[in-house]
Amino acid sequence: MVRKKALLLIVIIAALVLMTYQGKKGKLESLTSLDTLLHATQNVVSSATGSFMRPFRTMTLREEENIRLRNRIAELLLEQSAQQEAVLENKRLKDLLKLRETHRTSVASARVISRGIGYWEHTLVLDKGLEDGVGKDMTVITPLGLAGKIISVAKSYATMLLISDINFSAAVRTRESRLEGVVSGAGSRNCILKYMPYEDEVKPGDVIVTSGLDAFFSQGIPVGYVSKVDTKGIGGNFQYIEISPFQDAAKIEEVLIIR
Amino acid sequence: MKYAAWLIIAFCALLLQGRISVLGVPPDLTVLIAFYAGIRYGEHKGLFAGLLIGFVEDSLSNSMIGPNMLSKGLVGYVAAFFISGGLFRWTPLLGIFSVSILTFFDSVIAVLLKTLFDKRPGTVAAIVFISVMQSLLNALAGAFMRPEHVD
Repeated sequence: MVRKKALLLIVIIAALVLMTYQGKKGKLESLTSLDTLLHATQNVVSSATGSFMRPFRTMTLREEENIRLRNRIAELLLEQSAQQEAVLENKRLKDLLKLRETHRTSVASARVISRGIGYWEHTLVLDKGLEDGVGKDMTVITPLGLAGKIISVAKSYATMLLISDINFSAAVRTRESRLEGVVSGAGSRNCILKYMPYEDEVKPGDVIVTSGLDAFFSQGIPVGYVSKVDTKGIGGNFQYIEISPFQDAAKIEEVLIIR
Repeated sequence: MKYAAWLIIAFCALLLQGRISVLGVPPDLTVLIAFYAGIRYGEHKGLFAGLLIGFVEDSLSNSMIGPNMLSKGLVGYVAAFFISGGLFRWTPLLGIFSVSILTFFDSVIAVLLKTLFDKRPGTVAAIVFISVMQSLLNALAGAFMRPEHVD
């Protein structure tokens, strides 16, 4: 019993030392090979799910004529749904293409394969990597606006940090009044606009765009709009301002990676 | 063979975790592995299984290595006490209750460690929502995870 407790104590101390070390020296590198294997499998699963599910559904409706007719209707509906999906996808891709043409610095358009592993981190895995010219700290946008930035890249995959993650921040300004601040993720759907003094007038509905002053994000990318302003002092020396991003992180399917 | 099966299960858990979600909250399937190792093989193996899966999870999530490692290690260790047969008699209801509590415990420890050594991973409301949702999502699995002495 004493040995078991001693082992537990050693493990706890070792973990605390490891975290203290990372707190001072920076985070350790990830298991790249396992990461690649996992994302490759996710990509295969993602493509296989669609082709696997359709015949499985139709197989259950084949015995009777009535069932066959229903099956036919179901198939037609599925086709219709697939066509609608294709139309929507076509529209999204056209928007993305337009966006690509307007951004001369575009590197690649990418598809989202899955969410990141950690549930406290707001990350997405993309199907483009070093092979496609993607690099760390590149900006990720959608036709609606800023989506995040690339935080790690493997040969054919990249991980993007969403705008909603607490580790995300970007230099921004209000589009009309040109007031400067920093937008940061809050770990929830909305973001926080920081460092806005009380004398600066920010109103709900004001549009926020990137200012380009941080040297990471180019100027003028739409970020979101002001959804809440609290001037009663909960933000300390600055106003407490919430931003609703134009791009809902939960609805991202295709993105454009730019320099 | 047994270890290969554990590796495949852990890989599938990590794979599923990135693909499924309920109300935007993915289930914490890896904590179930630590829990099962604890109730099945005792404190030592529970602790090491938790440490290992937590380490992989931390490493793959591009965050600080340690919070999930320690929280899942503790879950593996504590799970062995929870249903050792000495203190409680195992029933499916106790399984549900213990998985639910330990999933919540895992979230609390991970959040505390992240807050202490890195940053708080979100607003308090978001953290509470995710933790409660995950403990509810995992709860049912507790009815099917039996300690060895019950078999």
